[in-house]
Amino acid sequence: MNDYSITILTFIAIQAIVACGLNVIVGYAGQISLGHAAFFGIGAYSSALLTTKAGLTFWAALPLVILITGSIGLVLGMPSLRLREDFLAVTTIGINFIVESVFLYVPFFGGALGLGGIPSITLLGTRLRGPKFLYLCLVLLGLVLLISRRFTKSWAGLACFALREEETAASSMGVSPIRFKLLAFVLGTAMAGMGGALYAHLMRFISATDFGFPLSITLMSMVVLGGIGTLWGPVIGALILGVLPEVFRPLIDYRMLLNAAILLLMIRFQPAGLLGEGSLLRRLFRRKGGTSNG
Amino acid sequence: MQLFIEQLLNGVAMGAIYSLITLGLALVYGILRILHVAHAAVYTAGAYVGLYVFTLSGSLLLAVPAAMGACAALGVAVERFVYTPLLRFPPFVPLIGSIAVFLAMEEVFRLVGGPYILSFPAELPFSGITIRGVVVSPAILSIYAVSAAVLLLLWFIVTKTGLGLAMRATSQDRDIAGTMGINASFTISMTFVLGSAVAAVAGILVGIYYNQVYPTMGAVPAYKCLALIVVGGLGSLPGAVLASLLLGVGETLLIGYANIPLPRDSLAFIAMIAVLLWRPQGLLGGK
Amino acid sequence: MDDVLLRLDSVSKHFGGLKAVDDVSFELAKGEILGLIGPNGAGKTTCFNLISGVYTPTSGAIYLEGKTTGGLPPYRMAALGVGRTFQVVKPFSTLSVVRNVMVALGLKRYGGVLSSFAPWETKKSRKEAMTLLEEVGIAHLADTPSGQLPLGNQRRLELARALALRPGLLLLDETFSGLRHEEISLLSKLVLEVRNKGISVLLIEHNMKVAMGLSDRLVVLDHGRLLAEGKPEDIRSDPAVIEAYLGKGASANAS
Repeated sequence: MNDYSITILTFIAIQAIVACGLNVIVGYAGQISLGHAAFFGIGAYSSALLTTKAGLTFWAALPLVILITGSIGLVLGMPSLRLREDFLAVTTIGINFIVESVFLYVPFFGGALGLGGIPSITLLGTRLRGPKFLYLCLVLLGLVLLISRRFTKSWAGLACFALREEETAASSMGVSPIRFKLLAFVLGTAMAGMGGALYAHLMRFISATDFGFPLSITLMSMVVLGGIGTLWGPVIGALILGVLPEVFRPLIDYRMLLNAAILLLMIRFQPAGLLGEGSLLRRLFRRKGGTSNG
Repeated sequence: MQLFIEQLLNGVAMGAIYSLITLGLALVYGILRILHVAHAAVYTAGAYVGLYVFTLSGSLLLAVPAAMGACAALGVAVERFVYTPLLRFPPFVPLIGSIAVFLAMEEVFRLVGGPYILSFPAELPFSGITIRGVVVSPAILSIYAVSAAVLLLLWFIVTKTGLGLAMRATSQDRDIAGTMGINASFTISMTFVLGSAVAAVAGILVGIYYNQVYPTMGAVPAYKCLALIVVGGLGSLPGAVLASLLLGVGETLLIGYANIPLPRDSLAFIAMIAVLLWRPQGLLGGK
Repeated sequence: MDDVLLRLDSVSKHFGGLKAVDDVSFELAKGEILGLIGPNGAGKTTCFNLISGVYTPTSGAIYLEGKTTGGLPPYRMAALGVGRTFQVVKPFSTLSVVRNVMVALGLKRYGGVLSSFAPWETKKSRKEAMTLLEEVGIAHLADTPSGQLPLGNQRRLELARALALRPGLLLLDETFSGLRHEEISLLSKLVLEVRNKGISVLLIEHNMKVAMGLSDRLVVLDHGRLLAEGKPEDIRSDPAVIEAYLGKGASANAS
């Protein structure tokens, strides 16, 4: 496999991690988040700053990155998640724009020039590049999937599913809406943060525009395409949306249009996604037992 | 002082244009509870169609109605093919559909109209005036005149006509409106016709004022105007106008006077968050 | 005073100018089945929403076992032993019937951070849920997606869910409306069994036959105010009550 393919796959793996985080928020807890890229960025910038200005290694910084991103998710989530669905949608868009502006205009974050000189990751003396970096990403993706799965099997996960379906009824059964929405949100943003850290150390250079609203849309598209609320959905979505531009590369001028058209067709005719309930794919491989979450 | 007043007038003009776009959003949200991001594509289409017809005919009098008609058709097409079939799904489904339409349309504009900035060299039928030393350009004057006329017309339709009553009834409760003989489907489509036609006018005004028509001119209004309808109170038409005017003035004065290290475009969202914290239903929102 | 489970003391709920509930007071004794009746718009569901925590009283106080509960959110009320069904059924549609009940079984888990991380799909929890489903008679539908159930079974599911909370007070909101004759008698028997197990019941019903037949006592609301209170025989012949129903053109549904 050549270097280029490995890089693409690494991108896909990182985006899958971030998309899994979004899936926890949107798919499991039913909360809309159109600003998820902001948390990807917060993770990236945190790791970049901790490893450059504070001199920590990637590994030492990683727990902090997850903590920071999750905490910011908590702080931003607390007022936002109390809002009604439509307000929440616009608020998350706003969060994306505002966070991007902060990265762009506050000098501490490097401003328009971004942050460079981010060190690569070393493990036991070897620098992780190329295939080794990909393996790291895949391992962490596996971890994220394991955590997601474990979440769906926990009472907290069940509470989130109930909230997603019928908030009033769930509340009448002891599920505190704000508590569990926040839990899902923090988990989701923390995962995005981890993806961000990987991104920063892959690119070695980041700037605010990497984490703008268009990326949030792409992430949402991945989750929708693969199947909201399914375990593997975000991975499939990331894979397809990561590979598609490469497939359409010859049609370079029409690439964006095709992406948008595919998203439109998908949402119009198969809103449950490729792996979702009632989808074409599912009906082709008919299975008994219901979905992974109920 | 004179400069301040000129800035203020600029701000009000910006606000007037915002309100023309935001009204369409508020109308659609009111009747379908959908965040009509694709509305910005309609606005951009208005600019392009207007420019095209103007280039062919040399007449704004032809270009404006042509653009309004084309955009009305576009708006209804989006409603029929994307929103109405998706109404039974959770709200983020039509929202993503809307975003997909918007992104696709941006690309269509780029492919058909070219990625460059086109100029819109129309002569406005107003001449500038000067009041006590304050210069009001023809562009600003026409924006005032046109927006005022459009807003007045819209106000009249919504409050005084049967259609307006049908629109208000359908936004309150579609089923009950149906039992009272209101054709919900027709009313909804007419809502899109009105909102889209108004957006087309905004597109042409902006195209002429800045002398720029380009594929991504809708990107900023797409999301900024969402913040505006939230600030105004989702679905409130007067709220949309008020929020738009306030933002127009706020943004203009901010660039002119303050030195805040945040870009103009974030102001709408910051204002939105501030308003939501203070008044969760928006400035003029009900319930 | 000792065996009063629920007490409403001059409770009012105003929505702007509308007085949905206006100065209502009544008591529910332990082990009692109290019927809450009245013409449409009388404020019955608003009362339920006040008791179960969906609304906060504008004025007045609500006491559950002597302690004030006005203003506590629904999830706290559930923890205090108040279970309810909804007039418009609210199943967790994509979840199967048995999983719907399991959500309610998690009541004690949702309060703690660590306790909610434990797995929910255990043999024990499924057995508990199945037992409840058997009690209401829909155990054979355990793995059906709850959204696909016909109304009668969905109402039974709502009951099973509420019972899974092991409540001391059960609020039944029009649980019998829209049901066939056989379903009504089945559910009525169920409600009596529930009461015999020591659970107090407050029910809203439009079906007079059911309300009169099941309730030990009745509370009649009209336009948000308390109109009458007493045993079914007395209420049935109370002229004010009859006028409230017939005078408005709404006839008592004595099917």
